[in-house]
Amino acid sequence: MNRNKSGNAYALTMLCPIKPGVEDNRIYADLIRDQLESWNMASVSPMSRVPNTYLSRFFVLDDIYTESLPGASIWDALSDIRLIPSNEQRLAALPHTDRLQSRYLVFTSNLHGDVDDYLHGMWQSINAEIKTIWKYCYGFDGVNDEASFIAYAKKCSLDTALFFIGSNDDSLAAQLKALYVKQEFSRFAQETQDLPASQLKQAYTAFMQRIKPRDVDGPTWKAGATHADV
Amino acid sequence: MTKALDLCDIQGNVVRAYGRFGFPIARYLLLNVSNGWGGRAWLTTMIPYVTNSATWGTGPDDAKRPKATLNIAINHAGLLALELPLESLNSFSTEFSMGMKKRKDITGDIGASSPEHWDPVWSDDANHKAVHILLTLNAITPHALEDQYQWVTEKIEGSKGAVTLLDGHRGPNEQLLPYQEAHIIFENGLPTSKEHFGYTDGIGDPYFEGIQDAQARVAGRGKQMSDGTWQPLATGEFLHGHLDEAREYPPAAAPILLSRNGTYMVYRKLHQNVASFDALLAREGATYPGGAELMAAKFVGRWRDNGAPLVNAPDATSKLQWDTDFAKASAEEKDAMLSNFTYDEDMSGARCPLSGHMRRVNPRASLEIKAGTCPGQFLRNAGAFDTPGALANRRRILRRGLPYGDSSQRDTDQGDHGVVMMMLNADIGRQYEFVQQQWVNYGNDFREANDKDVILGNRSKHLPNSVIHQADPEGDAPPRFVRNIPLLVETRGGDYFFVPSLTALRLIARGLIDPT
Repeated sequence: MNRNKSGNAYALTMLCPIKPGVEDNRIYADLIRDQLESWNMASVSPMSRVPNTYLSRFFVLDDIYTESLPGASIWDALSDIRLIPSNEQRLAALPHTDRLQSRYLVFTSNLHGDVDDYLHGMWQSINAEIKTIWKYCYGFDGVNDEASFIAYAKKCSLDTALFFIGSNDDSLAAQLKALYVKQEFSRFAQETQDLPASQLKQAYTAFMQRIKPRDVDGPTWKAGATHADV
Repeated sequence: MTKALDLCDIQGNVVRAYGRFGFPIARYLLLNVSNGWGGRAWLTTMIPYVTNSATWGTGPDDAKRPKATLNIAINHAGLLALELPLESLNSFSTEFSMGMKKRKDITGDIGASSPEHWDPVWSDDANHKAVHILLTLNAITPHALEDQYQWVTEKIEGSKGAVTLLDGHRGPNEQLLPYQEAHIIFENGLPTSKEHFGYTDGIGDPYFEGIQDAQARVAGRGKQMSDGTWQPLATGEFLHGHLDEAREYPPAAAPILLSRNGTYMVYRKLHQNVASFDALLAREGATYPGGAELMAAKFVGRWRDNGAPLVNAPDATSKLQWDTDFAKASAEEKDAMLSNFTYDEDMSGARCPLSGHMRRVNPRASLEIKAGTCPGQFLRNAGAFDTPGALANRRRILRRGLPYGDSSQRDTDQGDHGVVMMMLNADIGRQYEFVQQQWVNYGNDFREANDKDVILGNRSKHLPNSVIHQADPEGDAPPRFVRNIPLLVETRGGDYFFVPSLTALRLIARGLIDPT
């Protein structure tokens, strides 16, 4: 069983090691961060163009951080029993501190449907943006089409079962449509609250014809938008 | 056990809303301090005249009831100007240190309420002296107020420039005045407790441990307990140096003598758009089931004419009965009828809407809810919290202040009319700012998404401008939308002040504050 799958939702987590290079006096990791910040500043993220993205997140992982030293290995405990441990013994008893061998670009996405189809769609819709950030990562040099991007993504993927909450099994298009219908219906209810029954029925029929509730390709909420288009 | 408070040490406006104690008029003065030594010397001369919280009467420990009061509050820049040690300055809360203007993203003072539109007295212009000290003068008659004002201005002149009275409060006809005048509203020559939208105001002030007056007032003003009784709120919710509802001392400035028996004051001048309000009543009230007056009552949770709470008088018929009972009631019973109620039988908000101002700023035990079976239905979720009102008890605020201006000409929003709010709390972030941001300008805690408090909510064409008045979820009537709510209240000035104890004022005046 694939732990990254829950119903029709899939939790994709990619850790892509960043090369240690420098360009224009800035390290690659910093240049990636710069790109990601510019996406953040844009009114709509490029990820909104990627079909079936419920929610996604990018960040640069510089290293692992611990608030304090992990303690209580057996040697640590034994060193406490000795009355006067030497400094070498004391240091040797401290737990080993892990360090990452490189910085990583982390990409997580909760998506609807098959992960290969998703990565395919991602390449199709934003390959220019993909290249601007992933070009600084190890192993990306050979990526030049959907197939090689999918293969690369698979290589970097972890089995994490890390899901964001707040999504159901429906396709993104169905969810956006549902948001749209909810918003429009609230407006309809407000605008028509004083109408007599016969006019209300007429208005409702016209309303349903306009919003086409069962047609996900009809009028809908724009992916990535925080406000409905009025 | 309740410990008696040192009322001689606590400034009088903390314990008393002067307006309700026979002081119907006031002037609020803003001062600048240009040098620390001179400012402290001036402060020294003022301290003997500061009104404390001592009981007024003829007993041995009682104070004589004054004709006019004087209270002092100082903002962070003011404490710096008075040369408080840096370590003490840094020990005040972040919100207080930043001041109200810089907190506008939290308080929602945007658009018309944004600081650039405030009265010139708050200006950041380099040529304008900054606000440091707030003096509040309340009086029993206009004559007494004028005397007190003259006396204070002479004292200020006596400081030889160390302290300046700041000009620039907008008054009638766009005049710029050296004070903010405030007074209760008279109707047909009689004093009322109304504000400019016509609501009866200032009823439900919190009751906290250590107040010595009638214990009978605790019901409806303290905290609601599981067994239906009421207990006083912990003193530390309103005064530094005392235990709060979490049985902790609220974060306060160092040393303890600086903060103990002091509190923070949120001063806000709020302009009221009376024409917009009347137009909203006419427009949305025309077809409102039960009429425009019921809709107006639902905006707040109380009927406008006498403050009858909607939970006990939800419609015209029950209101008539309530009025009859009210007319026959004793003063004490009247007080209980106005304050001693719960939302226990109105969890869905069919009587008092969840967007009603009174419910938003003091939800009592009504946040202990769970969804019911019918759409829009909420039920008591008894036992969910330690006490039913646990979520409200730490957000309570003492409200002081009075209306200002005149709104008899109601065909325009322009003009000089509104209310000066002075809210006292131990923690600006946890109490005032939380209520303002989460409960007034947002509705999620009330299961109302981002619907705002009808009266105080900030609004623009990009922000939500409607609310839903719930109907009985088990009845046949549909819920009712109130639409196209305009911006009803605009901020015209304000800041966060510290209200020191008399002890702290003396230490500040002597330059003896020592946090080490």
